[in-house]
Amino acid sequence: MPIKIPKDREVPFGAITPAPVKQQELFITSNWRIVRPVIDHEKCTRCFTCYIACPDSCWSFNDKEEKMEWNWKFCKGCQICIHECPADALSAAPELDFEDGVVRLEKPF
Amino acid sequence: MAQEKLLSGCAAAAQGAKFAEVEVICSYPIRPYTAIMMELAKLVANGELDAEFIHGEGEHAQVSVVLGASAAGARAYTGSSGVGVTYAFEVYSPAAGGRYPFQMAIADRTLDPPGDFGSEHTDAMSARDQGWLMGWASTPQEVFDNTLINYRVGEDPRIMLPQFVCQDGYFLSHISDKVILPELSQVREFLPPYKSPHPLSCQFPVSHGPQIRPDQGAPMDAQRAMTFLEVPKVIEEAVSDYNRIFGRKIDPYLEKYQMDDAEIAFFIQGAHANTCKSAIRHLRSQGVKAGMVRPRWIRPWPTQQITDALSHVKAVGCVESSTSYGGATRGGNLIHEVRTSLYDLDKRPLVTSFMAGLGGDVILLEDFYYMAKILTQMAKDKKTQQLVYWVGFEEEI
Amino acid sequence: MGKVTEITVWTRGVIMDKEARDVANAFAQAAKMEGKFVQSFDNYEDLPDRVLVTTRKYARISDEEIEMKYLYTNAHPDVVVIVEPTIVKGINVLKGMPEGGILIINTNRPIDYMLKFIPNADLLGAIATVDADGISGVKTVDFSGSEGGVDTAGIGAGIAAPILGAMARVTGLAKKENLAKIVSDVAALERGYNEVKLQKFRKARYEFGQGA
Repeated sequence: MPIKIPKDREVPFGAITPAPVKQQELFITSNWRIVRPVIDHEKCTRCFTCYIACPDSCWSFNDKEEKMEWNWKFCKGCQICIHECPADALSAAPELDFEDGVVRLEKPF
Repeated sequence: MAQEKLLSGCAAAAQGAKFAEVEVICSYPIRPYTAIMMELAKLVANGELDAEFIHGEGEHAQVSVVLGASAAGARAYTGSSGVGVTYAFEVYSPAAGGRYPFQMAIADRTLDPPGDFGSEHTDAMSARDQGWLMGWASTPQEVFDNTLINYRVGEDPRIMLPQFVCQDGYFLSHISDKVILPELSQVREFLPPYKSPHPLSCQFPVSHGPQIRPDQGAPMDAQRAMTFLEVPKVIEEAVSDYNRIFGRKIDPYLEKYQMDDAEIAFFIQGAHANTCKSAIRHLRSQGVKAGMVRPRWIRPWPTQQITDALSHVKAVGCVESSTSYGGATRGGNLIHEVRTSLYDLDKRPLVTSFMAGLGGDVILLEDFYYMAKILTQMAKDKKTQQLVYWVGFEEEI
Repeated sequence: MGKVTEITVWTRGVIMDKEARDVANAFAQAAKMEGKFVQSFDNYEDLPDRVLVTTRKYARISDEEIEMKYLYTNAHPDVVVIVEPTIVKGINVLKGMPEGGILIINTNRPIDYMLKFIPNADLLGAIATVDADGISGVKTVDFSGSEGGVDTAGIGAGIAAPILGAMARVTGLAKKENLAKIVSDVAALERGYNEVKLQKFRKARYEFGQGA
């Protein structure tokens, strides 16, 4: 007897899936934030402590502009970088103060 | 004073263990049964339950620890889900053969791969040949009842067998429903303290599980099989005591719903039976004579009761929430035993099976209507077209 | 099968998990005291043991026995309660809501400001805000996990009580008197009831008996 799996319920063979490399468009965690880090580029000494401290690798260095760049798509607002910055260049601001910067998802998972 | 509370299946199981005054608990986290252990940890920490709470390093360790505790004469309790149940597999037969009457609460979870915490009965069903008592509950009240009844039956000196008290993960373990908690004095009247006939002790040294010759193996197996001939009587005694003491009307083996004049019947276990009953009410209002049989125990399999309940029906559909890949029907597990129970009747009902509720799927009312349509067609044609139907995965008939 | 009124409570894992569960459980219990048939449970798929992840709790209320008890989500929520306001920015919380439903947010920001983050607000019948953090103080009451266990830290101590008061006032699905018997912080419940701000739209469905 035929077992027909409907199109919207198809699954890969043996549940083996390709692994993401670098940044991917699944599990965007921008909506986990309650606060976001705001950087004062004048005070920043480019010491890269935030880049090392971030558990989600959300700080990177923009070579062209010579500034630290913040990844708004995946930052979860854990505030570790804010606490670790030795130059006090980072401060926390409520995410609701900003109108953009969060990907609006249809459902969490 | 009997209290009425809204409890989930996990909370009800924990309350059952508390009222049974278990003495040793061994825990290891795995979703969804882990709430039982969280609840018991709180009760032990608050002093509401005086028990030794041990954290095992894995499910195999869990069952080994409670086996040792039971051998030493303590009432022991543990549990698991999904792949945890299969991890502890090695210890199941020694537990049953060595006659240690501890209890294991199983909240079902699909087996890996990959990681799916939806409910599926395969994890506990795969252990049904190991010689334990086993049955599925369908409401949190029943989880509580089964916890007490299983201890009573399992610890009976004629029986002395470990027990699986199973429930659907999430549907039963995490969704709350009304539970009536009794008085402790009532429970003590129903469930006497555990007295092991041969506990580990220095005064009367015994060996547990020695090496034997092959010709001593078959008598061991026969002894264990003969115990299962005694179990039904003990179940009936225990349930009639339970009904008397707590004022209930539980049938010892099956729950039958509108079976008296049924022409088609569903054979279903677990929480989805509640949805089945709602579906049957709707079907009846449209003239379909449907009924439901729900087994409360599958080990021991209530053969005579199932034969009696289903003998007058034209078509039976077993709703399988477990898989037996490559089995005789290429489907599930229950149909084999239902067909065997009905094989020797002069006028046999037609029996087929439906794969539904796998992997955590919800069984909707519409799914039951689909199954009823197939069963009605079968009864009319007087022929089984297929032995297994995958609900939701086949063309609409 | 009677109509089931579905209430979805959105919150964040670990730090506000228990408070939201209190909201769903206490509201369902209060409705039960009026003789309704209720269910309340956590969403199973949300994996809430991660700090700050968005999770859901559900309550379902009906005048008749609920037939489909075993579902994973509230597909068509009539009332949506947001325990942490940033959630409206990142999730389509009104997904599946039939027209004329109610949205209740725990925030001290003005309603017009919150509406900027909700593009599909034209579905709504009414929106309400209550400053639960201000009324009860922002604190995590308990880190009780979400695994279906019974909470022993007391229901409704913390931001849950003012939110429950606001829900009782705006939806009328449960009485404040019954809620007062369940929650442990009755003063906060009263303040939430009195201090909720409501804005109605044309599409409001009055079957809820809105008390505001």
